[in-house]
Amino acid sequence: MPEAPENSIPISEFDTPNSEEPRIGVYICHCGGNISDTVNVGEAAGALSGLPNVVVSRDYQFMCSDPGQKLVTDDIKEKGVNRVVVGACSLFLHEQTFRKTVERGGINPYLYYHIGLREQDSWVHHGHPAEATDKAIRMMSAGVAKARLMRPMNNIVLTADKHALVIGGGVAGLRAALSIARCGLRVTLIEKSPFLGGNMARWDHVFPTEDAARDLLHGLIEEVLAEPNITLHTGAEVVSAKGYVGNFELHIRQQRRGMAEDFGAIDEAIAACPVEVVDHFNFGLSKRKAIYKPYPGAYPANPTIDWEHCTKCEACLKVAPKGSIRLHSVPIEFDLKAGAVVVATGFQPYEPAHGELGYGEFPGVVTLPQLERILSHDGPTGGKLQIGDRPVHSMALIHCVGSRQVDGIHAPRPDGRVNDYCSRVCCTASLAAANRIRERFPQVNIFDVYQDIRTYGRGHEEYYTRASKNRVTFFRYLADDGPQVVAAEPGDEHPLLVRVKDHLTWGEEIELPVDLVVLAVGMRPSPVEDLVDMLKLAPGNEGFLLEVHPKLRPVETAVTGVVLAGTAQGPMNIQESCAAAEAAASKVVVLLGRGKAELEPYVAMVDPERCQGSGECVRVCPQEGAIRMETFAENGKTIHRAVVTTANCNGCGICVSACPSRAIDVQGWRLDEFEAMVEAIAGEIPSAVPAGTPVLEAAK
Amino acid sequence: MVSNNLQVDVLVVGGGIAGMQSALDLADQGYRVALVEKNPSVGGKMIGLSKVFPTLDCASCITTPKMSSVAHHENIHLLTYTEVQSMTREGEGFVAQVLKKPRYINEDDCTGCRSCELACPIDLPDMENEFGRTAHRVAYIPFPTAVPQKALIDIDQCVFCGKCIQACPANCIDFSQQPQQIEIRAASVILATGYETTPRDAKKEYGSGKLRNVIDGRMMERLLAPTGPYGRVLRPSDGKQPSSIAYVQCAGSRDLTLGVPYCSRVCCMYAIKQAMLLSGTLPMADITIYYMDIRTFGKGYEQFYQNAKAMGVEFVKGKVARVTEDGDQNPTVRVELIEENRVVERKHDLVVLSTGMLPGTNTETSFGVPISPDGFVSIPRYHIAPTVTAQEGVFATGTATGPMDIVDSIVTSGAAAAETAAYLQSRNIHPAPEQRLTEATAAGTAAGTAATNEEANERSLAYA
Repeated sequence: MPEAPENSIPISEFDTPNSEEPRIGVYICHCGGNISDTVNVGEAAGALSGLPNVVVSRDYQFMCSDPGQKLVTDDIKEKGVNRVVVGACSLFLHEQTFRKTVERGGINPYLYYHIGLREQDSWVHHGHPAEATDKAIRMMSAGVAKARLMRPMNNIVLTADKHALVIGGGVAGLRAALSIARCGLRVTLIEKSPFLGGNMARWDHVFPTEDAARDLLHGLIEEVLAEPNITLHTGAEVVSAKGYVGNFELHIRQQRRGMAEDFGAIDEAIAACPVEVVDHFNFGLSKRKAIYKPYPGAYPANPTIDWEHCTKCEACLKVAPKGSIRLHSVPIEFDLKAGAVVVATGFQPYEPAHGELGYGEFPGVVTLPQLERILSHDGPTGGKLQIGDRPVHSMALIHCVGSRQVDGIHAPRPDGRVNDYCSRVCCTASLAAANRIRERFPQVNIFDVYQDIRTYGRGHEEYYTRASKNRVTFFRYLADDGPQVVAAEPGDEHPLLVRVKDHLTWGEEIELPVDLVVLAVGMRPSPVEDLVDMLKLAPGNEGFLLEVHPKLRPVETAVTGVVLAGTAQGPMNIQESCAAAEAAASKVVVLLGRGKAELEPYVAMVDPERCQGSGECVRVCPQEGAIRMETFAENGKTIHRAVVTTANCNGCGICVSACPSRAIDVQGWRLDEFEAMVEAIAGEIPSAVPAGTPVLEAAK
Repeated sequence: MVSNNLQVDVLVVGGGIAGMQSALDLADQGYRVALVEKNPSVGGKMIGLSKVFPTLDCASCITTPKMSSVAHHENIHLLTYTEVQSMTREGEGFVAQVLKKPRYINEDDCTGCRSCELACPIDLPDMENEFGRTAHRVAYIPFPTAVPQKALIDIDQCVFCGKCIQACPANCIDFSQQPQQIEIRAASVILATGYETTPRDAKKEYGSGKLRNVIDGRMMERLLAPTGPYGRVLRPSDGKQPSSIAYVQCAGSRDLTLGVPYCSRVCCMYAIKQAMLLSGTLPMADITIYYMDIRTFGKGYEQFYQNAKAMGVEFVKGKVARVTEDGDQNPTVRVELIEENRVVERKHDLVVLSTGMLPGTNTETSFGVPISPDGFVSIPRYHIAPTVTAQEGVFATGTATGPMDIVDSIVTSGAAAAETAAYLQSRNIHPAPEQRLTEATAAGTAAGTAATNEEANERSLAYA
């Protein structure tokens, strides 16, 4: 007999039946009608009370409430309940709640099992009460069958790196990094582009305070730079990631800037560069050189070389101090360990299709972000409101371009869906721009073509009233009958016409002659497919990253230790992004502040006595480093046995199905538990026990 | 019995969803928190709601576990039925004088058995939770899921018959109980003082609150809630099941006649949500929402709106000018149908005013923390630090800082916790070490779990 290697948990320990007789408490939640409107909860509780080992079976309006939880803790203390089965909502909502409850009652948190009666029964069988009740009883019986076999377990506690990686150097990433660092954790902030500030750096003034966006942004950046706990890498992105909460391992690739830190001859070098490319900072409205910085006060102050377009002609070398520019473009690569990852990858403005409302077709059709660049003093027109050389006298703003799209009317995205969501910021941003224009260029006429004006936030509504006072003229269109932008007759005073069926004047067809059409484009998530794959995140239908639950865990992802900050999650304005980023920071500090991380113990275990060393488990395991073959000596012979590294195992159970000698089980989800559950579901339905039977205690 | 002196890292004022979330986020980090709530139970306005948008989870299913957590958290000192009277800066921290109002029961001994409630002979209209539609006794527990589950006695209405004293098995009724003055010393403060809704009698155009079948959004929440007064939707005047229900949007928001220029941000969504729930409970009823703009801006909200439209809820653009009633107390809505360019009067069985949010704090009750002209707590660095007030060490969250929905309140409360923790760190105040994790580690090791790769390697080397 080989001695069981100490590095796996001998399965026999877990196979030892509990010395104590199972005394099971069964609790069915009404879920405030969500369950009890369909399932006859009283009947179900009664039926279950007759099952062997069930010592109490109750139904209650809100099991998760304090009085509901008290029923459980009291039964544990007073009736000696040592196994708990709760039938309620999805376990994603309240598994943690009830684990804490039973622990408070004095039993191991894993001696409780949760049945999702709401999602798996009452919601899907609405209108079929008898069948739903029958199903509830079967599901709960399965829970009872499992409960008889459950063993106590402990969470796996790991040392966690008190270090967070923040991905994205826009306002949300900066804000998250600062908040985490100020709570005493180390932070590495990486930004994919060579400069900090993201979309906020491109904005002129921000509602509702009318602060210059850059003043706010630069203030925040200065705070980040002054924070000793933060390490900053621009031009850097994650190329691979593995690990788990407390111990993520990330590989980072960083583009070189190509110039010395104290590089002085910025203007000369930029002037000397012969390469001109489209300036994406100005949304394509201007050109820049292959050595560049996006705007004069950008962070870092040093320009960078755009390696994609640099021809290495060395013209810049001739005007720069010797050695200050190095045309060496091979990126730097390094590894990073982090306990948590904050995804602050932000958004990009919706890019209208060519010809969508004249975009790309007429030079006078621009997007709202482009307008912000035009209005900016360091923008392509130096702050003048003009298209080419033509000053603007009349303009139209069209709302909801790329937002609130309707299936069948708007062209779908490559994934077949339309952007059916509201982008939240465009209404107030459009009206803020309209007011600024009316106040800076009073001769400009503004038409505002909208569906609903959504100036919802604190200080936002004032922009709407001010726009009315500023004599911005409003026209309302309906989504299925939107405006059109067409060329005016040659020789007309204004080159463009906006046609709108105005529902403020009972559907009148109106033509608005304009020089400029501004499309208030919505938000699309930054392209982060690679990161989504690497971190195993879930995008929602809209393409933005998905939170676990909008109220219970609004900034956490399904991957413990990976949290969301800002518009990576969905459209938000700057203030909302900062609030979300700080909430994300809070979660990171809760997770890592102790320097420890806890994992659920649902991991594979090998029974070394049964293991024949086939190696099938290692071949099928999808998790790197979760299971491997070890060599042991037995009676002078060399044998192979599988060994699990619990921290790397995600408990998927594929190894269990592959093992030819049934030597592997997932702790907490053993095959005998499954078998018992299946038998209970498929077997005789327990009949209702007559009312008044002592074990059933009707809850008030 | 609570001690007369408490020293904590953070004082959270307000035990609604925002205050509870901030308290939990800080307590989970290891900071000691005092959570002070003026009502007998935590839970705030949210616990009175039916289901919440956009997930349609029952409000209790989100709120009650958090209520339970704040009551049981080892780092949270919960003080209910307690009002903050003053708060002054002293040195680097704050000293708050709070008054714990007498419940006339001994809180330590009360088990929440409700024997006193059952024995009490006097019924009072439940104004606080049910807007007078149900009754509670003079000795009562505020509502079934209240936290703490402790009775209180409305001493002004009590006739001192002594029935509760006879009934109480814990012998904890005490008519002589006095208010308790407690001094809380805290290094920092979070204001989570919430909001009030537009008074129902605010607008004479909508009947000054006198029309019986004109109710407001929060009352409809109670009618829709499973714990509500009737267990179904009935109109107040005659108990009839309404077959035509109208919502009047912006009834208190975007309305300069009420001095409320701002949008209350939640009313569009709660009206749509209620319309959806009503379509479920009263499938034959016609539901109309009269609106100025539909503002469904949050994640998943626009889709929610479109679903309601698809379900047959009628959306009519037009600001309701007047609500009157006919001889049968049927409310009649006068409105300009903007799309049709005509003014009509339409009769409904029940009208719901989508009342807005008013500040819950004013300059007198904000303890010197500056308030903006809109009445909400002033936030100087509005964009970058959305929870930092003008007073150092004081933070604000939830609807104390302006109208917002539950999702945004919860997110903002996480932000307030982060700012507070950073502030405490800057004052060299660190979280207390935690016991539980240490024990769990010991257990983990004892079970022979190879927690990390390194550890596993180390051990397997020994056996190779």
